[in-house]
Amino acid sequence: MDLNFHAQLLLNGIVIGVIYALIAMGLSLIFGVLEIVNFAHGEFYMLGAMFAYFLTANWGVGYWPTVLIVTGVAISLGYVLYEALLVSLRGENFERSILLTLGLSMVLQNGAVFLFTTTPKMTATGLSYSNIIVGELRLPLARLFALGLGLAAFAALYLVLYHTRVGKAMRGVAQNRDAALMVGIDPRAVSRLAVAIGIGLSGLAGAVLAPVYAVHPLMGFSFVFKAFAIIIIGGLGSISGAAIAALMLGVLESLVGGFLPLVMVDALAFISMIAVLLLRPQGLFGRGVRV
Amino acid sequence: MNPPRTASGMNAVPLRALAVLAGLMALFAIPKLTGNDYLLALGVSFAALSVLSGGLNLVYGYTGLLSFAQVGFFGIGSYTAALLVTERDWSLWAGVAAGGGLATVVGLVIGYSSLRLSRHAFAIVSLSFALLCMIVARDWVSLTRGAMGIPGLPTPTLSLPGGIRWRIAQPADFYYLLLGFVVFAHAVIYLVVTSRLGRAMRAIKLNEPLAQSHGINPLAYKLLAIALSALLAGMVGGLFVFYLTIVDPSIFDFYYTETMLIMVIIGGPGSFWGVLLSSAVLTALPDLLRFTTDLRMVLYGAVLIAAMLLCPGGLGGWLHRRRVARWRQPRPAPRS
Repeated sequence: MDLNFHAQLLLNGIVIGVIYALIAMGLSLIFGVLEIVNFAHGEFYMLGAMFAYFLTANWGVGYWPTVLIVTGVAISLGYVLYEALLVSLRGENFERSILLTLGLSMVLQNGAVFLFTTTPKMTATGLSYSNIIVGELRLPLARLFALGLGLAAFAALYLVLYHTRVGKAMRGVAQNRDAALMVGIDPRAVSRLAVAIGIGLSGLAGAVLAPVYAVHPLMGFSFVFKAFAIIIIGGLGSISGAAIAALMLGVLESLVGGFLPLVMVDALAFISMIAVLLLRPQGLFGRGVRV
Repeated sequence: MNPPRTASGMNAVPLRALAVLAGLMALFAIPKLTGNDYLLALGVSFAALSVLSGGLNLVYGYTGLLSFAQVGFFGIGSYTAALLVTERDWSLWAGVAAGGGLATVVGLVIGYSSLRLSRHAFAIVSLSFALLCMIVARDWVSLTRGAMGIPGLPTPTLSLPGGIRWRIAQPADFYYLLLGFVVFAHAVIYLVVTSRLGRAMRAIKLNEPLAQSHGINPLAYKLLAIALSALLAGMVGGLFVFYLTIVDPSIFDFYYTETMLIMVIIGGPGSFWGVLLSSAVLTALPDLLRFTTDLRMVLYGAVLIAAMLLCPGGLGGWLHRRRVARWRQPRPAPRS
């Protein structure tokens, strides 16, 4: 019983960690390439979950088509977002980029509240209640799918970044924008792609979490706050750092939540962030301060 | 502030002082002229929001640090004052001072830990801090009584010099109290931004390495700006909750942050009068137009996006550009 309890906590922690990672990696990718902190990132996660809810609950679309459609729409939204709003921004007007994306977040979040109200919506598919039973452990299928899809997205992102020319270009722009421009990389195309991938990951996270948690318009906001803490802990702009920090935070939160009061769970991300800033300001996996 | 150049500019300073004096007299006369409680309520919210946006302007507009922590300081001041007055029977003055003091200390800790990395880290940490405050207020039930908040705050009595005891019960009393604090807070901010301190802050915002090479220690000035804004926000929070008579976790609502950001952006970051004016207009306007809060925030968000794309300097920046353009206009050469 006790062992099962721990294993269950661990599994929940890994699932939530993978979802944190999907969001934080996108945020980190966008920061690395564009030097923009995207405050509206959580809203795309929320929109992804909302859209997934409406697809499954109202129009009876199945699980897999829903995930594909939502991710596709999110990627297109990323393109539109870059071309419509972010294209005029550069790293030096950092505050402007924050305020711009904050404005976007306000519009999306409050627009969603106005349209859908704050009542939480639960996607009740057959998937929500099915479990795989291994020994005495109950593994909810929806969580397992979320885990699998998250890991698949990791793998895909890794392949794109490290084994394709466009991924190399993206890393090049993140390392040194001017040098990348000099060797003939178009920063605009690369930035556009980075935003599209980042928003796509966020939408995917929303779609896979919709059957696990309740969906409501304010869900993105609390999530993105943790994602910010994660990218600071992992090192600003370091994508693998963000992924590792996200997994660690998810597992830690889940374990802490099993034994300590709730306030500790939510404070954990912030306390870890402050501790990292004091002890190792460049982040756990950062390669020195880059501004 | 650039020195006045033209003949009309020579009169500008006394004229401005007269205008400020007249405006203040009008504001203080409002409760005498009308018993309209709604107008007084608007005045009280203006007082709170203008102190918050004035502090944000000091940190963001003058020093160039985007901060989301103001609402956290505001709430910390509110909770501290409310708890000390209700649980420990402190006087309002002492409670408010303690609230401001605690907010200042917290501000210094956050500023020191995150500014070692970068301005970017400060922005993110300040945001997380503000959200953490709300979570702690909601979940640390044994101290803050959780989501229920602390209702029924007593009517405060202030001991004024000269043995007068002023019982602050009527909306008009709160209006006077907060308006007095607004004058004090803005006077402090004005003194800072027009002095050597303010020039150093602006230099840091414009070019930090250059300012540093002139012997300015950026970290000290940044911390000063953060500490001062935290102090004022904490104190106004402590006063404001006794008007509300309740403090609950919604005092940390992100709505306050968004509102004060809009006020600073529209008024023009780094423009003292611009931000003061936009605080007044933006407190009154949405209330008079009777927008629902959701739609108001959608509108604010859209305004924020538009301002960032089209006119990042806000009202103050626009006026400044016009003034510069006027100076640059060729004048007819004097005949010899």
